[in-house]
Amino acid sequence: MASGYAWFLVLGSVFLCNLMKTLLPTISSFLTKMVQKDAEQESEMRAEVQVMKKEQASISMMDEFARYARLERKINKMTDKLKTHVKSRTAQQAKMKWVVNIVFYILQAALMVSLIWKYYSDPVTVVPSKWIAPVERLVAFPTGVAGGVGITCWLVVCNKVVSLGLHAVS
Amino acid sequence: MESGESGSLSAAQRRAEIRRRKLLMNSEDRMNRIVGFTKTESENNAGTLLRPAEPHFHLDLDRTEPWSSSSSSSQRPSPFPPESSGLGSRSHGATPERRGSPLPDCGEPPGGSLEDDAGGIRQRPRGERAPDDLGGSPRRGLQKYLSRFDDAMKLRGQLANEKPAQDGAPEVEEFDPFRIFRIIGSVLLAVFVRGFVCRFLSIFAPFLTLELAYMGLSKYFPKVEKKAQTTVLTAALLLSGIPAEVINRSMDTYRRMGDVFADLCVYFFTFILSHEILLLVGSETDGPPGSQ
Repeated sequence: MASGYAWFLVLGSVFLCNLMKTLLPTISSFLTKMVQKDAEQESEMRAEVQVMKKEQASISMMDEFARYARLERKINKMTDKLKTHVKSRTAQQAKMKWVVNIVFYILQAALMVSLIWKYYSDPVTVVPSKWIAPVERLVAFPTGVAGGVGITCWLVVCNKVVSLGLHAVS
Repeated sequence: MESGESGSLSAAQRRAEIRRRKLLMNSEDRMNRIVGFTKTESENNAGTLLRPAEPHFHLDLDRTEPWSSSSSSSQRPSPFPPESSGLGSRSHGATPERRGSPLPDCGEPPGGSLEDDAGGIRQRPRGERAPDDLGGSPRRGLQKYLSRFDDAMKLRGQLANEKPAQDGAPEVEEFDPFRIFRIIGSVLLAVFVRGFVCRFLSIFAPFLTLELAYMGLSKYFPKVEKKAQTTVLTAALLLSGIPAEVINRSMDTYRRMGDVFADLCVYFFTFILSHEILLLVGSETDGPPGSQ
């Protein structure tokens, strides 16, 4: 028959999964920052470009054309380098996000399957069957126990309630 | 001699004229091909009046007027001036007309004033029209495909714009006051039913009564206009020819069903939770078996 706190275990698992899902973007950006070693280089390049632009703004193009043009070339070169850097960083970020999502969904699927496997024949909780008439069979699926709440029904209910709750909180 | 010479000149002139005419006739087609418009497309732009009413695929899910009235506004514009409008108004004996042609026109072009006004509108010669008549239905099918392709491109653009907004929240459930009221009502009813009612009848009977009450109470709450979300599904349904009104109503129905389902889940969850809490409290009140 139903173990005492099976309903709570399922509820906790669903809550954890939904919480992780909301935190996925944070996790993927954190992992990206950890993996990327040359993040400082980008900020240095940006600062350098800013400095050069300021210097260029202080130069008169008419009076010091050569210096102006030299600076312009340097700025363009640095900007191109920065763009390449940003592109590779963005690609890496997207890849990391994809990997994190895939891993999460695999883990979630494994958890759900294991819960269903564990409670396939045991209801998570039992109530008098006349309380949940006339849908007691549907609620009890797949256990077949009269008055029992099956794992599938409880998973669906918990999923909905937890997602509503987390959405309200966030 | 002179007459022969003049005859030959005029023959040469005629030949030159025919050559020039032939070149000028195809210039529009050449330009259309260069910019990516097919020949059939530019021809059928003028035949839009006779095309059957087609569904309008732009994402105006709020429109309620019938589709047939909007078909005329869904035409794909050609960058070049269209030919004379209406297949029926064309005469099969139309001859090409050019600006500044030294030769008089050989026939009256239909809708001549239109052509003059549009400046540069030409008519197709008879030779070019003959194959068109034979390939009328495939061309219409092609035109239909092209117009749907245009709509698909527009929808794709719109989806791409809306995608960043939807990326983080695939199920956007907005909590308007009525929704909050429903959820709270479901929770309170579940607790009440667990406490006093469940011994006498099924727990779903009070829930159904509650939902009926919500249906009646919904008109007393401020209505929140929900923005019609453009998803891949709605885009696919629109492109397949289903009217937007039908899609809107279906989405509305599904939304209502979703609300009822959410209420049911909250109700059932609260009921089970309160049942377990009561069991726990009851078992603690009774105390462990050894202590008695």
